[in-house]
Amino acid sequence: MDSAVNTIMSGSEPIGRQLLLLSPLLALVATLLAVVVAPLFAGRGVRPVVTVVLVGLVVTFLAVLRVTGEVAHAGAAGLLAERLSGMLIVDNLSLGYMFILLVFLVGVMWLWWTGSAPTEQDAPEFFILLLGSALGMAMMASSTNLLFIVVAMETASLSSYAIVGFDKKNPVGAEASLKYVVFGGISAAIMLYGISLLYGLCGSLDVAVVARYTLEALQPGGANVIVLTLGLLCFLAGIAFKMSAVPFHFWCPDAFEGAKIEVTTWLSVASKAAGLILLARLALTFCAAAGNQTAIPLLLPLAWVVGILATITCTYGNFCAYKQQSVKRLLAYSSIAHAGYMMMAVTVFVYVDPQRAPTPLPGIGALLTYVVIYLFMNLGAFGVTGLVAWETGSDKLEAFTGLARRAPWLAVPMVICLVSLVGLPPLAGFIGKWWILLALGATGGTLGWLLVLVMVLNTLISLFYYMRIVVRMGLHDTEAGPVRPPVRGVVLVNVCAAALIALFVLAYPLKDLTDRFAQALYLPVVSATQDGKQAVVSGLPLVSDGYVENRRPSE
Amino acid sequence: MLTIGLMHYLVVAAVLLCGGIFVMATKRNAIGILMGVELVLNSANVNLIAFDRYLCRAGIDGQILALFVIVLAAAEAAIAVAICVNFYRVLATIDVDRATKLQG
Repeated sequence: MDSAVNTIMSGSEPIGRQLLLLSPLLALVATLLAVVVAPLFAGRGVRPVVTVVLVGLVVTFLAVLRVTGEVAHAGAAGLLAERLSGMLIVDNLSLGYMFILLVFLVGVMWLWWTGSAPTEQDAPEFFILLLGSALGMAMMASSTNLLFIVVAMETASLSSYAIVGFDKKNPVGAEASLKYVVFGGISAAIMLYGISLLYGLCGSLDVAVVARYTLEALQPGGANVIVLTLGLLCFLAGIAFKMSAVPFHFWCPDAFEGAKIEVTTWLSVASKAAGLILLARLALTFCAAAGNQTAIPLLLPLAWVVGILATITCTYGNFCAYKQQSVKRLLAYSSIAHAGYMMMAVTVFVYVDPQRAPTPLPGIGALLTYVVIYLFMNLGAFGVTGLVAWETGSDKLEAFTGLARRAPWLAVPMVICLVSLVGLPPLAGFIGKWWILLALGATGGTLGWLLVLVMVLNTLISLFYYMRIVVRMGLHDTEAGPVRPPVRGVVLVNVCAAALIALFVLAYPLKDLTDRFAQALYLPVVSATQDGKQAVVSGLPLVSDGYVENRRPSE
Repeated sequence: MLTIGLMHYLVVAAVLLCGGIFVMATKRNAIGILMGVELVLNSANVNLIAFDRYLCRAGIDGQILALFVIVLAAAEAAIAVAICVNFYRVLATIDVDRATKLQG
């Protein structure tokens, strides 16, 4: 296991193996290019484009499966070393995110097929933008270098700006994309300024070197703390924008309300999850840099920053969701709140017992479980909202009046998704929250217990506004006739609802699966910088019980 | 005779940053805000290249990143201007204060 890691590290692996590890990303790029070229041969219709995309996604899925097997075999397979200048990492975390991304892409395509496909004139362009943002997000989950993080985030963002304003005749969409691009441009610029400061301090764009430098600076008597803090905060602002963490959330409700419902669904899960996985990877890198155990308490201030950001984010999201009349906008605020819950899982990595080696596994497992469950909850809830909006022409709360009578096959999955979003048993949303709570409680620290309290209180707050929709559907009634949505849409939302029940029943198998993706993660370790020279980067595989083994810097 | 050193470049970058943030905070015109964004991006570029030049590190990561930033800024400007044109076609203005359909 260790030898496999080190041979890739030193760059002595044949190029074929590196290409194999990169094949999921390459397959996604090939799909994107195929969608660009396909209209030249097969016309601009919906059918050829969707066929090309589906074939591409199946190929990508097979590639991810193959690489997962490869990585499981090698322990943790790193693409680091000289050849790729430490840009990319392919490990269980990035592969786990790829699986989620592909499943979700198919779900979003299904929703698009239900609602927009019949009238779509620009199907190729829509899929170019969708796959472009998917590629950027997949790259975000794999990046270990500030340069690559910038490129990945911009790839994801640029496609997202355009896809939000995809419906050119819709004034609300035009406004949404304008606000999104303005906020996105500002936060990207601030992030880059922060990165330039970090580069000046650390002399490297490698995240591991930045982590090492941060730990040295945070020690008593460390130099340049103010500039370092400024750089890190500016950098965090860029990631917070992707996660739509308060106070970088302003774009989120507007972009989500103005965009087409498929696009809203896509951004609400994939974009946020990509930001969270990136944050998790950074937290892991910092943990790994703190490999000598005395340094870990130094990470506590960073954990507090993330924890406070998470607290503000979920509380703000839940309170703002109250007064919303548009269900789409209400769900946008609910997605802000859920981003806050997921950020709490990230603090677990940092908040560890100083007597023990870093054990990031519970946090990662809980985060991945939550993302999987959140995917189905949001796809279902936004799906029903979309179906109602397409049939009645409104996504306001009034459109849902009496839905239990008018369209029981929409009302039932909607209730299931909303109760799951609250996090009540017997639905999967409860499981997602439960694992995060357990992981937080297991840290045994002040921050962990405070976040447990925040999460429980926020769950109570969120109960009321989700129930507003349920009450509106069940207890009120109206003269309006029945809603008759397309069958394929009804199937989609009911599949999501069924998945939420199934995932509650299969809570432990799901946990086992995500835990498998949360182990043997690749943690770069940097030896202490010697007289400002280039630091040595080496691999550090984690074994399943969380203890670090085989720490051996490569020479 | 004054020799130009790292600090001078950093001051220029900081001035560009402050100017950019001021522009982003005060302009009501979407194109104006994007110009502020460009200023901040270029202040980051000045920083990156100055650090590369004066701190004598192995490698030219900073200059490579600066090149990437230039390309990304161009791509972002292209998308942003397209979105502004689209907004103008719908509302006949690019004043961001007039973007009030989405609130709450």
